[in-house]
Amino acid sequence: MLSKIKYKNWMLIAILAITISSCKKDYSDPNRAPSDKILASDRGLTGVSIGLQRVYSLGRASSLYNVISTNGFVTKELRLLNPGNLPEFQLSTGGIVVDGTNTMLAGLWTSSNKIIYDADLVITGASTLTDKGTASGLIGYASIFKALSIGNMAMFWEQVPASIGTNVSFITRLKGYESAIAVIDNALSAIATNPISASFASRIPAGIDIVNTLLALKARFLLFSGNYSLALSTANLVDLTKRSTMNFEAANPNPIYDVAGSNFNVYQPVDSTMGLLGSLQPDLSDKRVPFYMVLSGSSASRFLMKGFAIVTTTAYPVYYPGEITLIKAECFARQSSPDLVNALVELNKVVTKKAANDPLGVGADLPAMVGPFTQAALLDQIYSNRCIEMYMSGLKLEDMRRYGRPATERTRNFMPYPFRERDNNTNTPADPAG
Amino acid sequence: MKKKLTQIAGSSKQLYLLLMMIFMSSLINAQVTISGKVKTSENFGGSSISVIIINSSFGASTDANGAYTISTNLKPGKYTMEFSGISLKTKTAELNVSSGINNYTVDIILADDVLGLDEVVVTGTSQGTTKKQLGSYVSTVKADQLNKGATGNVLAALQGKTAGAQITQNSGDPAGGMSVRLRGISSINSSSEPLYIVDGIIVNNSTTRVTNTSGNYDGQNFVGTIGQNRMADINPADIERVEVLNGAAAAAIYGSRANAGVIQIFTKRGSSGAPVVNFTSNVMSSKLRKSVEVNQSPTKFGNAPDGPTAQTQDILTLAWTNTTPVTRYDYNDYIFQTAMGTDNTVSVSGGKDKTKYYTSASYFSNEGIIKNTDFRRFSFRSNIDQAINDKLSFTLGLNYINSASNEKPDGNSFFSPMNSINIIGNFHNIQTRDANGNIKVVGERQRANPVSVIEEIKQRQETSRILASTGLKWKPTRNLSFDYTMGIDNYSQNGTTLIPPFPYPVNTAFFGGGLSLDPAQNGYASIANNNYFQINNEINATYQARINDDIGSTTQVGYSLQYEKSNYSLLHGRGLPPIIETVSGASTSLPSADSRGELSISGVYLQQNFKFKNNLFVTGAVRVDGSSVFGANERSQVYLKGSGSYIVSGTEFWNKLSISKWWDLFKVRMAYGESGNLTGIGPYDRFNSYSSIGFLGRTSFFSSSTLANTNVKPERQTEIEFGTDLSFFESRVGVQFNYYVKNVKDLLINRVIAPTAGFSSLLDNFGSLENRGIELVLNLGVIRQKDFRWDVTGIYNQNRNKAVKIGQALTLLSTNGGAPVAILEGQPIGVFYGTFFATDPSGNQIKNTSGIPLTERGVQSSPLNYTTSRGAAGLPSGTVLRRVIGDPNPDYTASLVNELSYKKLSLRFQFDAVQGVDVFNADWRTRQGVGNGKVAEQEQRGQIPRGYILGVYGIEQWRMDDGSFVKLREFALSYDFGKVKNVFSGLILSISGRNLISFDNYKGYDPEVNAGGQSTILRGIDFGSVPIPKTFNIGIQAKF
Repeated sequence: MLSKIKYKNWMLIAILAITISSCKKDYSDPNRAPSDKILASDRGLTGVSIGLQRVYSLGRASSLYNVISTNGFVTKELRLLNPGNLPEFQLSTGGIVVDGTNTMLAGLWTSSNKIIYDADLVITGASTLTDKGTASGLIGYASIFKALSIGNMAMFWEQVPASIGTNVSFITRLKGYESAIAVIDNALSAIATNPISASFASRIPAGIDIVNTLLALKARFLLFSGNYSLALSTANLVDLTKRSTMNFEAANPNPIYDVAGSNFNVYQPVDSTMGLLGSLQPDLSDKRVPFYMVLSGSSASRFLMKGFAIVTTTAYPVYYPGEITLIKAECFARQSSPDLVNALVELNKVVTKKAANDPLGVGADLPAMVGPFTQAALLDQIYSNRCIEMYMSGLKLEDMRRYGRPATERTRNFMPYPFRERDNNTNTPADPAG
Repeated sequence: MKKKLTQIAGSSKQLYLLLMMIFMSSLINAQVTISGKVKTSENFGGSSISVIIINSSFGASTDANGAYTISTNLKPGKYTMEFSGISLKTKTAELNVSSGINNYTVDIILADDVLGLDEVVVTGTSQGTTKKQLGSYVSTVKADQLNKGATGNVLAALQGKTAGAQITQNSGDPAGGMSVRLRGISSINSSSEPLYIVDGIIVNNSTTRVTNTSGNYDGQNFVGTIGQNRMADINPADIERVEVLNGAAAAAIYGSRANAGVIQIFTKRGSSGAPVVNFTSNVMSSKLRKSVEVNQSPTKFGNAPDGPTAQTQDILTLAWTNTTPVTRYDYNDYIFQTAMGTDNTVSVSGGKDKTKYYTSASYFSNEGIIKNTDFRRFSFRSNIDQAINDKLSFTLGLNYINSASNEKPDGNSFFSPMNSINIIGNFHNIQTRDANGNIKVVGERQRANPVSVIEEIKQRQETSRILASTGLKWKPTRNLSFDYTMGIDNYSQNGTTLIPPFPYPVNTAFFGGGLSLDPAQNGYASIANNNYFQINNEINATYQARINDDIGSTTQVGYSLQYEKSNYSLLHGRGLPPIIETVSGASTSLPSADSRGELSISGVYLQQNFKFKNNLFVTGAVRVDGSSVFGANERSQVYLKGSGSYIVSGTEFWNKLSISKWWDLFKVRMAYGESGNLTGIGPYDRFNSYSSIGFLGRTSFFSSSTLANTNVKPERQTEIEFGTDLSFFESRVGVQFNYYVKNVKDLLINRVIAPTAGFSSLLDNFGSLENRGIELVLNLGVIRQKDFRWDVTGIYNQNRNKAVKIGQALTLLSTNGGAPVAILEGQPIGVFYGTFFATDPSGNQIKNTSGIPLTERGVQSSPLNYTTSRGAAGLPSGTVLRRVIGDPNPDYTASLVNELSYKKLSLRFQFDAVQGVDVFNADWRTRQGVGNGKVAEQEQRGQIPRGYILGVYGIEQWRMDDGSFVKLREFALSYDFGKVKNVFSGLILSISGRNLISFDNYKGYDPEVNAGGQSTILRGIDFGSVPIPKTFNIGIQAKF
């Protein structure tokens, strides 16, 4: 009987011990940071804004890889080396072969919208910070990637999402450029009100010149929208001695080099014509050709890419100083009362530019062209120079359409919408014919 | 036979009770010793047979020869002794204890119980219950069925042996992952693997990649679960039996985590008697069962495949019109080997009085059929049962395991052994070396030479694991008992990878240095650690009452508390110097990983069981559970269970019927159960958070691609099962049949959403799924003679799985190998949904003028509906159409086991069938594209139009293959020498084999693999998976 009581107590203690040590059920996540905390602190917002650049520029799913590669295949800048790379194969074939399964288009679409989503949070979060000099830096920096993302969608699709959300509606691509410009204007005015604090630059990765990039992108999208006078005045504000680049390091390699440049299995430059025909082809002594490609010595591909994909750490430009000069030239040539003289002056600045005088090292180093040219002839030269100066920049498809190049020079005009969007958003517009 | 047994039972008082009288002092409680021998109908001593004195807490179990001894205090009077054992019909014998007599002998013969209805199973009850009482189906697989299959993996050993289970070996690696599906897919978002319990320990069976760690391995485009799963650590030789609980109806007592069923493993325990030394030794040899035929075309298009003007992948490059003669090779001869292995276990078991023990030590070692791969495992076990006094006893189990394997990169990369030969044409002499002895480049596309993969790349993982359990039983009164079980599973898993810098240009995506042999990129090293700790506590109280002569009641209450913690870390870098193997040598550090998690689950239950006249049994239970992975409002989940069974043949009415003469057993049963999935999401998956990673010397934050609903709740499964157990002709024919409907609602789906939401997917309780099926088990005693026995067992399972509601019409997943895996409403989970061939009304492919088949086009009105359209020249026009092009869920699975024995010779063979299953054969297409397959040969020989392969390359249907098979899964021939002189008390020699023959129409190596590993929804994908070998085994089993 005694022993019975003893054991009973013993059991009771055991039961109690377990019950007391009972169940803690609120564990916080040591691996990740909750959204509300991240978005309420300047350091958190800075990290999120750096994340935008990462999503934009790193890896095969990045906007950078997909914009440059999609554009390169569609405009025949690139040579596909292995049709086993199905999305690349679709784009280089073009026409109806490109469909909603294309993972490059889906990747661009997804990363663009992801960037817009997070950039909106940064821009909203920054406006509540008391440190206005950091706030304007964050708004400016995040706006670059938001504007690029909207602009990229507008370059490849006829209609772009009006916003972020559920079952979003679509707006025309020109409205897309308008909204990208509005994003930039908002950033520029925030910076005008509260200049970016001197310390902000050290908080983000080196390479990006925020104000000049905002101005350059604004000029680019104004040009694409046909607003030549404002594009010209905006282009005039860009400091042509500055460069703005997305940088890379060995652990975070340049995706164009990493996926394509480092091997003969995906793509390389088509050849030294850069995919241009006839009189538009680069001059044999144009030093931009050897800047962008080199003879490979292999039968796999005659040329090997150089330019902004030489090694893993090669920086990729966000815009090109030469692009700004060519925007000016084009605006002069296209404005309501064309100024062909100044257009040629600006064009010749690019034609005669020496690599040493270009912040990015791009220089044709050709003799100046001597006029007079007709507007059409001048525009052809500007187009050709855009294609050469900004080879593998992702801008050529938009240029082809603006310059009215024949459809045969490209494999598609506009892209079909990714199935991921179509399957889940009833407002997705019909796919264009080609 | 029945008559004879009745006689034995009837005359047991006279024949089997021998009383010996010794005069002693007049004690009320006499110290008595009851001993005896239990024989099975085969006239063998029955080991491990439980002998208890009913209405007391005394008992024993028999030793290897069937002998038992119980020494205890008993008042004089009448007692009933009960003898029960696995696959034997329980029998009772009467015992009259008279004062003054203290030695009794009770011998008994137990008959076979084909359906195992008298087997005691432990379905979450502390006391156990016989299958006869259960309303739900529980199957038991015994040691001797497990250990004849020439495998060192317990899950492989279970293949085809339990109804309702589809057990798949996903990889032919020596520790290749195994998937178990009990009654189909139970979840989409989380694992559908059952809960594993070994001696009361909840044993982790997760797949954690400590090798194959970098996203580069699979292009960061992967939702599979690949690699070893940790049941590989369990030594099958230690197992006494496995109980499989297929669904919630049976498993509801485990409530929270049993939504995919439960597999309970019981290891061997000691029995009273002299120490028995058991030694088993096996030598095995494995080989590739079937290779694939390779291209034998004497020429290729374009230039020679090597050298400065090399041109490869000629099949896909139509611009090359010239041809070049080439030498063809079969790289299968290079990467595969005949693998040898050994499996040795020695165990000592025994016991005396209140202590029983079982200890074992084992060493298993096996090579893979891929060169330079292997797996080895050390396992030590000690199980102790100790009675403290008549009322209190405890058990202790300790198992230490050290397992290690040398591996190669997994199939989903192009530098895995299989894919390294799949991705190159078979026209390179891969084994030539340059002047410095370096491996040479293959072609001009920066592929990895298979020789580099086999000889240079090293991957190794090692696991040290302790499984510890302790149990305490206290039986204060005859009707009341308490038991407490604690289990700990603690392991550390360590993996290292070395890809030395390639001496030739290899794609940076394969960790090469690119064309420039960039020293900052060339080569890769990693080390990863995963530490896991799990503790589970279960405490139960059971009260048994006899309400009257006809009605008995059992009441149980229990409390369970489980806690899990894991830490995973990864260090890796690329750009390696030569010779150095560690990450510290890497010139480029890649972002490291450090991931930690913990979770806890607790629950209480109450279960009430009534039995009426030993032929009607009714059970009801309620359980309340909570898990930390779900929000505070979702931590009181209530699960109900109810079941009933009625043994019609146990009634007096039945016994009066004439059919009862040949119809022995007629039992009907039904069960209903609910269960949750309290580990259905990761510990922190309900939070929306930002992850951080270093970028360009700064810290970047990025939001997840998945948007989570913070109020997400656990999935809830309800299962209803109807079944019947029948046996005829003196148990010569047994039939068990189950019909079940298993519904999962509040199904968690990480559903693809429009990217314009800012996220790629949304995790929420969107939908529901359904599994309906039947299970049929047929046992046939064809011949039962003294010297010759022939038993046949057939199992047939049919499960129909359907996504009832998923919140959207279609979820298309991004997967490995480009497999278009989809979840579609009204379709089975994980179907292949993609583009397909255009056909004319009579089903013939429509071809263009060049004779190349085309993709079907038209108007897609919904995911499952479309209209084809034809344009110029009757060719397809419109948008590309998609439909369901294949289903990896089988129509049915079945197995057929034949067991024959003639005197001391016995033969067992088992066929497993999986029929009506489609495999996405990505490798087969790749082989055509790079020019080493037979279709490529046809194109090079001009037997099909040039451009054929390129034309159909993008048509996803072209990759669908027939995955149905019938395999000779197991084959075993053994000879039992019995007692050999005074050296061996038992000696068995055996020859066995596994996966020896497959009857299939599959175009690859083996249809029974899955590149998605243990993934729930990625099934039937063949992308670089190592085929399952055929294995021969010679074994000896000796007892001393």
